[in-house]
Amino acid sequence: MKKLTALFLSLALLLTLAACGPEGKAADVVRYGMSNAWDTLMPYNSPSGSNYTRIVCDKIYDRLAYVHADGSLDPRGAASWESADDGMAVVFHLDEKAAFHDGTAVTAEHWADTIALMTNPDCPALGRSVFNVLAGTDDNGAAIQGEALGAEAVDEYTLKLTFKTPTTPEDFLLDRNREFYVLPTHLLDGTAPSEVMDLELWEAPVGSGPLKFVEEIPGSQLTLQANPDYHLGRPGFDTLVITVMDKSNLLPSLMAGDLDYYAFGGNLSVESAETARKGGIEVLEGTVPNSFYELMLNNQTISSSAIRRAIDLALDKDALCLHTAQGLGEPTATDLTPGTEYTSSLTWNRDVEGAKALLAEGGYDGSTYTLACTSNRSGLAALMQQQLAEADITVTIETVDSATLFSGMADGKYDMAIASHTPGALPLWFTESRFSEGNNIFHVSDLSPYTALIAQIKATSGGAERQALVDQLQELLAQERPFIPLWFGRTLHAQSPTVDNIDYPSSSFSNENVWEWTLK
Amino acid sequence: MGRYIRRRLVTAIPVFFGITLLVFLMVNLAPGTITDLMGEGASSEADRAALEAALGLDQPLPIRYVQWLAGLFRGQLGQSFFYDRPVSRLIAQRVGPSLLLTGSGVVLAVAIALPLGILAAWKPRSVWDRLASVLSLISYSVPGFFLCLAGIALFAVTLGWLPARGMYTAGSFTSLADLLRHLILPAGVVCLSSLGELVKQTRAACLEALGQDYIVTARAKGLTEGAVMVRHAFRGSLVPVLTTILSHIPHILGGSVVVEQIFGWPGMGSLLFSGISQRDYPVVMGVTVVIALAVLLTNLLLDLVYGLADPRVRYGKG
Repeated sequence: MKKLTALFLSLALLLTLAACGPEGKAADVVRYGMSNAWDTLMPYNSPSGSNYTRIVCDKIYDRLAYVHADGSLDPRGAASWESADDGMAVVFHLDEKAAFHDGTAVTAEHWADTIALMTNPDCPALGRSVFNVLAGTDDNGAAIQGEALGAEAVDEYTLKLTFKTPTTPEDFLLDRNREFYVLPTHLLDGTAPSEVMDLELWEAPVGSGPLKFVEEIPGSQLTLQANPDYHLGRPGFDTLVITVMDKSNLLPSLMAGDLDYYAFGGNLSVESAETARKGGIEVLEGTVPNSFYELMLNNQTISSSAIRRAIDLALDKDALCLHTAQGLGEPTATDLTPGTEYTSSLTWNRDVEGAKALLAEGGYDGSTYTLACTSNRSGLAALMQQQLAEADITVTIETVDSATLFSGMADGKYDMAIASHTPGALPLWFTESRFSEGNNIFHVSDLSPYTALIAQIKATSGGAERQALVDQLQELLAQERPFIPLWFGRTLHAQSPTVDNIDYPSSSFSNENVWEWTLK
Repeated sequence: MGRYIRRRLVTAIPVFFGITLLVFLMVNLAPGTITDLMGEGASSEADRAALEAALGLDQPLPIRYVQWLAGLFRGQLGQSFFYDRPVSRLIAQRVGPSLLLTGSGVVLAVAIALPLGILAAWKPRSVWDRLASVLSLISYSVPGFFLCLAGIALFAVTLGWLPARGMYTAGSFTSLADLLRHLILPAGVVCLSSLGELVKQTRAACLEALGQDYIVTARAKGLTEGAVMVRHAFRGSLVPVLTTILSHIPHILGGSVVVEQIFGWPGMGSLLFSGISQRDYPVVMGVTVVIALAVLLTNLLLDLVYGLADPRVRYGKG
């Protein structure tokens, strides 16, 4: 027994002594936390298409522009751009200093070849529909045989993208920039399009972004190294280590000095802000909306527009927003992002009696609706349930995970569901993808009035004419109420105590200015 | 004994395939697939259809199971839907960290629980007995995630003694000290979570052994109380204690989902967690295979160890 105790104590002492060795952070390492994993380091092969994958690929690969949270654009892979061919094309003048991590210059040929390869029907690219705005592609983004693809290398550093409808550079970049990356096509020579995704290159990718790949434990940890030759400047650190960890540990790790930053933009809830401040973390208030909350409706099971409008009227969006965003939000009657070029005169007011009248008009038979939500929104769902009950609308709540929620809405299992999204500056950022035959998530029986207006808005380049069409679409949405816009939220950011020059708000648009980050 | 082992291995085969079938059905019948997570419903139907076809999700369930089984017979656990890597490679990357974390936690728990359990049985109502009760109570009643967060709040945030996340500071091994500093807190939580059961089991088994005739005989022979406790009472209580200890082996291999997830530890538990939340069926199945094999082999190992621990155990022919 004595021997055993002595052995145990010696071991414990040894371990303690070893653990008390040189502490802390290795020099010039930025420790970056993330609550969800990226799925791939090949940006066109992402099953999830999630922002977590985008924010990681953003560091390894270059995009054409850097999008700020307020919708303004900065050069990135392209040094400048202009509209061409009467608005049917955009010409990008690429930054001639840009180079891949193997030293090869990034040329217009690389961009054109990337797009040609990913739109090739033989290439098993995922999320190919992002290319469907380009001429010579079908609705799924696949190149149409015999038609000229709208991606052309005019000269070594000039790329021309031609569209199906008139598109301004700003419209294109705000809508699609985050999906367009340049690949090292010079390393793919001789690979059949059908085999491109199987290359080992994507496990140790060579991009032209601000950081170089070092090593990865898929789903858990990624180590990247500063690219000293990045054309916009060398990041002010040597290594960036991304660790996937539970959301609940992001702020504590930052406070403990064990993280330097966490995605996206060090987002904080109002409840956590006080804790962060007490822990010596400076809290910044977001200036532009970075979330849009909606109540998804199943237009098949709630088939009367009067009942859908009644649900809208019965909800107290102020209270809902206050409950969730704690004052950092703005209730809304539309999906148009506040602070952008497009506005609406539509307003909302809670009117329980009006809701009851609409229910009678719509022939509501007292059916119980199923409201699906994720566990972190069960409080919000309960509040909605209470508010709807005041208008005599009965709701039961089902708390499920995201996959179940979206599949349940797609299958028509749920009558309503709470969802949130990262808003965009364009007027169709929300509606275009949700009112199509391919993705009729609200189960709208006749999409044609929506698709017609959407097509008209897309064909108009801007100004009063486009605003008028946007107003028409919003009027239609208000009348039919296929979904209920709730509020736009702004966020709080936990400022990094160790890294300077972080553009916190823009991270919610899936890009981060890591080349400007410097260690304090 | 060889014949006994062979017989046990043969009976384990249907159990193993039964487990895989059950888990396959459970994960595949859960609502939603990975395609439902594509861009939170914003991607096109064509993108989703392309993904379903690429992953074989457009095939009927029985065919998918047979395909998975065929792969297993070829020694392949399939390709992860989410990470597009062979599942066996993902598991190989995660087994080591899980063994280190959960293994050190359980070893530490055993090292504390055995002497504490013996002392608690030997000296009822002493300070050791009370300590054993308090530790068991905490271990049983406090959820793992709370222990993790409380440990982080105290040792990382308030005292600043230990790191709150990851396995290494700079992403890879730089020094043993760095690894140990990162290990202490999560391994401590694993240890505390396992401690209660081990202490209780050791104490109860020792108390039962102390009431046996051979203990009276040992005392009558004039042995010291320490010798009676360690050589006789503890040895006599080894079977239930060993059962409890060895039952942790699958847990060691499978990792601790909560601890790994909160601390960002790159182990099997966090892999399983992401596999379930991303509807990554091959990953869930792969981890299940590893855990199922561990459970079956542990049970066999237990049966064999019983014979060594207790001479009365015989491996019959029937």
